[in-house]
Amino acid sequence: MALKTVIPFGPQHPVLPEPIQLKLVMKDEVVQEAIPHIGYVHRGIEKAAEKMDYVQNVFLVERICGICSFLHALCYCEAIEKLLPCEVPPRARYLRVIWGELHRLQSQHLWLGLFADAFGYESLFMEFWRNRERVMDLFEKTAGSRIIISTCCIGGVRRDISDEHLEEILQTLKEVERALDHSIPALLEDYTVRKRIVGKGVLTAEKAVELGAVGPVLRASGIAEDTRMTGYAAYDELDFKPVVETAGDCYARAKVRALECYQGIELIRQAIQRLPDGEIAARPRGRPNGRVVTRVEQPRGELLYMVAANGSQKLERMRVRTPTFANVPPLVAMLPGCEFADVPVITLSIDPCISCTER
Amino acid sequence: MRMLRNVMRNLFSRPSTRLEPQRRAPIPGVRGTVAFETADCVYCGACGLRCPAKAIEVDRPARTISFDLFKCVGCACCVEACKKGCVQMREAYAHPSYQKPDILFQGAPVLKREEK
Repeated sequence: MALKTVIPFGPQHPVLPEPIQLKLVMKDEVVQEAIPHIGYVHRGIEKAAEKMDYVQNVFLVERICGICSFLHALCYCEAIEKLLPCEVPPRARYLRVIWGELHRLQSQHLWLGLFADAFGYESLFMEFWRNRERVMDLFEKTAGSRIIISTCCIGGVRRDISDEHLEEILQTLKEVERALDHSIPALLEDYTVRKRIVGKGVLTAEKAVELGAVGPVLRASGIAEDTRMTGYAAYDELDFKPVVETAGDCYARAKVRALECYQGIELIRQAIQRLPDGEIAARPRGRPNGRVVTRVEQPRGELLYMVAANGSQKLERMRVRTPTFANVPPLVAMLPGCEFADVPVITLSIDPCISCTER
Repeated sequence: MRMLRNVMRNLFSRPSTRLEPQRRAPIPGVRGTVAFETADCVYCGACGLRCPAKAIEVDRPARTISFDLFKCVGCACCVEACKKGCVQMREAYAHPSYQKPDILFQGAPVLKREEK
């Protein structure tokens, strides 16, 4: 009988952009068990949110995650708007969809690139990231900055998008789509790549539900659940269906994210087409009082905010549950039985965002 | 032969990367950096109160504004808060500095302006 060995994977590992440690119990080259250790980048943002004004918190929650900063702000603003209550003008709701989907688009590009890099396909990594740069330039033009765009505020949005910029967004999306048509087959149809990702890290539908997987991880296991279906912002007025795959392996997760890029482009086109005129922000009156839970679909899955307020300037408590936190138990269930060389690919397939998780 | 063509093209084509902020103009509409115009300022302190990063400190009796560029997150809340239009966003990137003393001592733009 072979001896069991424990190999620490991370927190510093070339494939991980952020620190998470997986203690892998190995028998020869096969993983028997994975024990996750987190807590390397805890910043105490939830506590800081109790010390600041509820209006200023918008800028704080954006800094929980750089890649999906707008969606954090959106989720927080939706929570406060429910508590006040405050009616968001229709144009602002559509602008929120446009920026939210642009964020999803760049995040999926980032992940597709990192995923290609995880199995050593560096030229594809650069292809995706070059394409992502087009979206980042759109942010700089429309919102004024690239990553943390600070356009969402309580009651609406802080900036309007002019007609020329809308035209430019449509033009750039055409280019992005053309580039995606070129690079996605390289990821999904290439023989060598398929050898590395097809059938690796399988998560069945029952297991995904049992362990509470969210987002693309859940949808890749064949369950059509997307928080956008709940109809926050203007999603209730747009036509879309969640992207679903049934295999539940790394390939299915990559495919869901690749197809979500196209879905995002389609949603932005719809939103621009139906964009109404009018005000972009309502003036919030009063102070939040009560307790509310809001959910938003992030690129990585469902983001949940619980806000408790007591009618004062400062919040009583703010709790954030990020999608990676929900996706770590499924990851731990995926790893046993795989080869050691597949661990980086499987780990990256849930798109771990650790600074989000630990806040 | 094909390689030679690639070599020639790479020698004379534009670089595919963009130049660093110092050498390219900012994209129009970029938020940029905060600039103060103290001529009309009444030192009410609204900008400092609204700042989520607490980068601005206004001392009313001394009539000074001290602004820490390194704390500033560029959200432009101070611009929205200022009723007098004394705080503006300048469409320019904060230029990198290559000398350590510039960052640590002289370069830190702590603005202290006395009233005329």
